[in-house]
Amino acid sequence: MKDPVEAGKVLSHLAEIEVVAEEILSSRREIIDLDKQRNKTREAIRALQKEKKDGKMWLCAGNMFLKVENAKAVKILSKDFEILDEEVSSARARLKPKVTKLRDLEKKDDLKGFGLVALTSEERKSVESLL
Amino acid sequence: MKVFHFHHFINNLKFIYHQPTAEKVQEIREVTRIERIGAHSHIRGLGLDDALEARQVSQGMVGQIKARKAAGVILEIIKEGKIAGRGILIAGQPGTGKTAIAMGMAQALGTDTPFTSIAGSEIFSLEMSKTEALTQAFRKSIGVRIKEETEIIEGEIVEVQIDRPATGTGAKVGKLTLKTTEMETIYQLGQKMIESLTKEKAQAGDIVTIDKATGKITKLGRSFTRARDYDAMGAQTKFVQCPEGELQKRKEVVHTVTLHEIDVINSRTQGFLALFSGDTGEIKSEVREQINSKVAEWREEGKAEIVPGVLFIDEVHMLDIECFSFLNRALESDMAPILIMATNRGITRIRGTQYTSPHGIPIDLLDRLVIISTSPYEEKEIKQILRIRCEEEDVEMTDDALTVLTRIGMDTSLRYAIQLITAASLVCRKRKGSEVDMDDIKRVYSLFLDEFRSTQFLKEYQQEFMFNEMVPDEMETEAS
Repeated sequence: MKDPVEAGKVLSHLAEIEVVAEEILSSRREIIDLDKQRNKTREAIRALQKEKKDGKMWLCAGNMFLKVENAKAVKILSKDFEILDEEVSSARARLKPKVTKLRDLEKKDDLKGFGLVALTSEERKSVESLL
Repeated sequence: MKVFHFHHFINNLKFIYHQPTAEKVQEIREVTRIERIGAHSHIRGLGLDDALEARQVSQGMVGQIKARKAAGVILEIIKEGKIAGRGILIAGQPGTGKTAIAMGMAQALGTDTPFTSIAGSEIFSLEMSKTEALTQAFRKSIGVRIKEETEIIEGEIVEVQIDRPATGTGAKVGKLTLKTTEMETIYQLGQKMIESLTKEKAQAGDIVTIDKATGKITKLGRSFTRARDYDAMGAQTKFVQCPEGELQKRKEVVHTVTLHEIDVINSRTQGFLALFSGDTGEIKSEVREQINSKVAEWREEGKAEIVPGVLFIDEVHMLDIECFSFLNRALESDMAPILIMATNRGITRIRGTQYTSPHGIPIDLLDRLVIISTSPYEEKEIKQILRIRCEEEDVEMTDDALTVLTRIGMDTSLRYAIQLITAASLVCRKRKGSEVDMDDIKRVYSLFLDEFRSTQFLKEYQQEFMFNEMVPDEMETEAS
C-alpha cells in the first residue's frame, strides 16, 4: 500500500471493527457474569427456603456481613433475582444492535428476521410441523 | 453424463478385507446414482458485477448483456422485498436464453427467497381447476418469516443425586449439578424432572438441554472429557464439547415458510403428510382467508415478515384467457409475488379467444408488465456457450470440432448443436478417441437430422407418408 491516505483509511476502518468486536465480547462477558450471579442467587434462595427453623441468618453483602431474619433475607434475594433477570434481558437486547453494526462494518448482509417478535408457544403449535 | 458411485460401508472396508474369517463382505451395498445434467445446469447466477454491469462471460451466462442487466435491476427490487405484485415478461425467439435468465435470477436470489418455477401447460389438470393451480403457485412464492424463541438451560451434567424416601413411597427429591466452561450451579429437582431425567437415562458426563417452559430434557451427547470413561461404547454415542458461556441461554431461530405450506398443514387433518406426498388437492378458500388474516395479524404485531418471492411461468402463451384475467387480479393483491413470465411467441392468438395479441397475452395484462427482450446469440457467443456446455457434460473437444459445431449452431439452432455434444462424445468413445474431433461431429450431424433437414425430407417424400392427402388449409380448421 503506497498511498498513505488510503492506508490511513484502511487502518481506521479496521480499528473501528476492532472496537465494535471488543464491545460485543465485553457484552457477552457481562451476560455470563450476570447469569452466574443469577444462578447463585437462585441457589441461595432455595437453600434459605429449605431451612426449617426460623431465625436470623448471616447475609453477605459486598464485604459486609449482616445478620437478618430468614424471611427478610429471602425477600431481599428475590428482589435481587428479579433485577438480575431484567439485566440479562437488557444486556441481550443491547448485544443485537452491536452485532448488526459489526456485520455492517464487515460488509456482510444483515441477519434477517432477528428483529422479529417471537411467536408464542400457542402460535408456534399451528406451524410446528413446518419448523 | 456424470456417474457417481456411492459405497455404503457397514464397517470399515479395509478392515473387513484383511480378516479372512469375516463374512460381512456381502453386507457392502453399492449404490450407483446417476446425476442427470439439465439443459441449464451450468447457470450459477446472472453474472453481474457489483455495479450491476453484466460481464461478457460469467457464472455460465454468455452475452444477452442488456437483458441480464435488466434482470439484475429487477433482482435488486426483489431483494429489497418492498415491492410486490410486479410482472416481468421475458420475450425472445427460441434458444435465446430466456429460461437461462430466469434460472440465473433464481440462483442469485439465494435460498431465503421462495422461487417457484412452473410451465404454462402445467396448470391444466383434471385434479385441480386452473385457478386453484395458479393460486397454489402464487402462494408457494410468498414466504413468511417467523421467529421461534426458547429459554433453555444448556450444560454438562456434573452430578445427579436422587434421594429415595426410606419408606419407599412418597415424593422423590434430588439435585442436578450442571456446568459450562464458565460456571457451575445446582438445581433442586422435583418429582417430574427426576422422572424425565431417568427416562432420558441422563448421567454425569452427558450434555443436556432443558427447555425452561416445558421442562423437556434433550440429550445432545457425551462430553469429550469423558471420552475415556468406558472401553466399550455403542456406535451411536456422540461426543460434544462442553458448552460455553452462560447456563441459561436464549435460543432464537428464524424460519421462512411459504403461505402454501401453512395452507396445507391447516387444511388437512393428517398435516404434513400431505406436504410430502405432493397430492394436496384443492384448498378451501375459507382456510386461505383465515391464514391470510392470521398472517396479517402477526405482521401487525411484528411477529412475521412477508418475503415476496418469485413465480416464474415458462411458456406463458399456453395460458388461456381465464388464467390471464386471474393473473390481472392476483397481481393487485398486497401479498403478490414478483411474476416473471417467458414466451417465444410473436403476435398470436390468445388461447381461448379469437383475438390476436402480441406474445399471445391480452393487452391489459401486457400493460402491467415490463418487458425484457432477448436477442439471438452471435457466433462468438454460441461458441462460448458450446464450450461451457462441453465442460458441463465432461466432453473434451478439439478447436476445429468446436468451430464446426458453432457453424452448425448458427445454421440450425443452439439447442440442436448442444444436443450433438454428448452424441459426438459417444461416437468418439466408440472409436476409442480421447477428444471429439471434426469427423465425430460430421458423423452425428449426418445421423441426426435438425428441424430444417427433417422438414426438407418430409417435403421430398410427402407422397410416401400417411394422410398426405390432407390439404394444409383443412388442417388449420381441424386444429381450431
